[in-house]
Amino acid sequence: MFNSIFNYFYQFLDSFSFLIIAVSGLAIIFGMMGIINLAHGEFIMLGAYIFTILAKASVPLVFAIALGTVFVGIFGYIVDKLVVSRLYGRALDSVVATWGISLLLRQGILILLGPSIPGLTTPMGTFAVGSSTYSIYRIVLAAVAIALLAGVYWLFMHTTFGLHSRATMQSSTIAQSLGINTGRMYSMTFMLGSALAGLCGALYAPTMTITPTMGQAFQNDSFVTVIVGGANPLIGMTASGTVLGVIQSALSMLFGTFFGKIGLLVVAIIVIRVLPQGFSGMIEKHMVKGKR
Amino acid sequence: MSKKILELLNVSKNFGGLKAVDDVSLSIEEGSLHCLIGPNGAGKTTIFKLIMGIYPPSEGKILFDGQDISRMPTYRRVREGISIKMQIPGVYLDLSLYDNIRIAVQKYVSYHMIPSEINRLISLVGIEDIGNPLVCNMPHGQQQWLEIAMSLASQPKLLLLDEPAAGMGPEETEFTSKIVKRINEQGTTIIFIDHDMDFVSKIARRTTVLHYGKIFAEGTFDEIHNNEDVINIYLGKV
Amino acid sequence: MKNKIKCAVTTENISAIAVFVFFLLYPMLHSAYKVLNMANFLITVILALSLALIWGYTGIFSYAQAAFYGIGGYTYAIFCKNFANPSLTPIFLIAGVLAGFLVALVLGYFMFYGGVNDVFVALVTMCFTLVLETFLAQTAGPEWAIGKAQLGGFNGINAVTPLTFGAFPVKGEALYALVLLLVLAIYLALRIMEKRNLGYCLLSIRENRARSEMFGYNTAKIQMVIFAVSGAIAALAGVLYTSWGGYIVPSAVGMTQATMPVVLVAAGGRKNPTAVVIFTLFYLVLSQNLAASGSQYSLVILGLILLLVVLFVPKGIIHSLFEIIDEKAAVLLKNGSIRTGGKANEQKNP
Repeated sequence: MFNSIFNYFYQFLDSFSFLIIAVSGLAIIFGMMGIINLAHGEFIMLGAYIFTILAKASVPLVFAIALGTVFVGIFGYIVDKLVVSRLYGRALDSVVATWGISLLLRQGILILLGPSIPGLTTPMGTFAVGSSTYSIYRIVLAAVAIALLAGVYWLFMHTTFGLHSRATMQSSTIAQSLGINTGRMYSMTFMLGSALAGLCGALYAPTMTITPTMGQAFQNDSFVTVIVGGANPLIGMTASGTVLGVIQSALSMLFGTFFGKIGLLVVAIIVIRVLPQGFSGMIEKHMVKGKR
Repeated sequence: MSKKILELLNVSKNFGGLKAVDDVSLSIEEGSLHCLIGPNGAGKTTIFKLIMGIYPPSEGKILFDGQDISRMPTYRRVREGISIKMQIPGVYLDLSLYDNIRIAVQKYVSYHMIPSEINRLISLVGIEDIGNPLVCNMPHGQQQWLEIAMSLASQPKLLLLDEPAAGMGPEETEFTSKIVKRINEQGTTIIFIDHDMDFVSKIARRTTVLHYGKIFAEGTFDEIHNNEDVINIYLGKV
Repeated sequence: MKNKIKCAVTTENISAIAVFVFFLLYPMLHSAYKVLNMANFLITVILALSLALIWGYTGIFSYAQAAFYGIGGYTYAIFCKNFANPSLTPIFLIAGVLAGFLVALVLGYFMFYGGVNDVFVALVTMCFTLVLETFLAQTAGPEWAIGKAQLGGFNGINAVTPLTFGAFPVKGEALYALVLLLVLAIYLALRIMEKRNLGYCLLSIRENRARSEMFGYNTAKIQMVIFAVSGAIAALAGVLYTSWGGYIVPSAVGMTQATMPVVLVAAGGRKNPTAVVIFTLFYLVLSQNLAASGSQYSLVILGLILLLVVLFVPKGIIHSLFEIIDEKAAVLLKNGSIRTGGKANEQKNP
């Protein structure tokens, strides 16, 4: 009995952490700028490649992860300066432009590094509960996901950057008149979001085959999580990560991973009909009511 | 007694913790030219949006011509006979003047009548001299007149005008007041919001004053104008 | 009347006539192989026009055109495999188109009646396409069959009966003629629609949806229906493609396939169907020269074109050219004191 509860809990943690880590960058960028970076999957892929290349060159894993994060963050900053910053206020055009970038990245890596490069094996080994073995690394990832949520919370609620971000999210014109450099906020946010994508790639690289199209595995899940979450990055991520994590793990266990993915899409489609503002819209309404 | 074309019965609207409209009951007689005034944030535009159905009331009912329209979607309310000119010009900036009116008009007349109907609306408002520029190149005042023309395309029984004279100089304001009176004389009930007391005094027959989402005073314009309490709320003393 | 003719003499109209004459004469001047290739390209034009309808005219950016293309193709193939009689294939064509229409209608209902914002429509349609492709790719096992039709996983469905009217299979030049006819029909339908009520209705939704609702337009329903129609057109392209090649595979639904119409429409000029058709031709020439260097680079070129167009020529290259040439011509003609009709004071719809 305990074994199957643990099994389910483990599956849930796995889904939950995957969704949170994959979506964090996307959600922050969307919450701040209303832009969806369609190259998000490819940024994740870049992080995975950088991590793998460094790790294979005997760089200690933690450094490899950190460097992957930083490099993709810098790359995101460049992309913002060259492309995205010209498209502030043109949300739909930025969707098309970032898709062009995703194409370039995918094909570029394919041309430069071939269809795949040798990856690492999942570190840290396994542990057993009852008759099933589980990966320790995945538990670590779950801890990282929770730490990530805590970090985002701290960043938005307890730092000046966070305060300025929330002001800009609420109303960029008012924020500007208060002296906040909204252009710089957007660039920093895009950089942060890209870095988080790089982090995701670096963290999941040991568990996947390293190919130019590996970003697509994250694409569907992170888009759905953002849609269901809504505009507030923190509330949205947490709420949708949890709910979707439950749904996806349940469906995967019952019917297989593919149905887990279909389930997410179906949930997204129903949610946009019923709760077009996503979970954060619904929760924010109730939060403010409670304060009265 | 004149028929009531619009009735708000104990209507409230909450946004989270903010009560933008607080237990407002209002009735508008058919054919009247009614003004809604009050300091900024009093809830006037919110009431317009409730009447148009942009969001539903949190409490209370809205009756139009005897029918409960509280949950009716916006496009149906327009077809029932309510029309609006928005506070921020709701015109299609990247299109020409003719195309703007065409879009407003084409649902309400047959295909062959569209050109003549466009011309009719242009003369009704009196903007023949503008020609057919791109709307984004038109000055603010002309955009507002255009929008009034467009809002008349559905031959509404009730027209809501949100700050029709906003940002206009004295000549333009005079022109606008003539337009509004002309439309009202042809039978359309008009409710309008404005801050320009000169403009209001020229045309309003009845006035309702809103303050913090509640009805503060009602009466003819002269009664309101001389009411000390009303003056005080504008001066922020209440 | 003279004024009307002067108004009709635009760069756009002249190039439209030129392009269609070119297409008409093509089979007489080229080998059977090239004609077959061109037919495939014209099928892609149909797909691109479906996107032009939903994105260019109505302002809804949909990534799902490739999905409906695949749904059309697979529906046709499944029917063909289950009913071996070739003279029934025209009915299967209709079935494929209908399948695209209905799926798009349902998806459209959920998206537009919820009032979800434009970026989310792009995301949901993208997820839909991704999931569909993944689903089709993993249908390799024998249990994945509808009637007698094995879905076939990565290999898809093969040896599909080509479209047959009576006893005549539509192949080669006949297929080319059919596809060209359909392209012409859809193109003309779009051009005519532009100036009629439906065109202005879609325009109002594109330019300011919320305001249009307040002029009495049931915007949710209109968006849903147009989305379904564009799905039907995309499905038609899918059926034609399946008939053309005799097979349909999951990669026809893939991201690469979805890219093509987006680039063609964005780079040509999404608000102008003529620009889309002309750019497709231009792209055909470009890609034939690239074929030598390998298809890997063609995707890079596509990505670059997309990026550069969105940044610097958002109206589309061909569409912008139309406007520039028209303006220059108007100036020249004015100087030569010949009037060009009502275009001096009023400008075309952008």
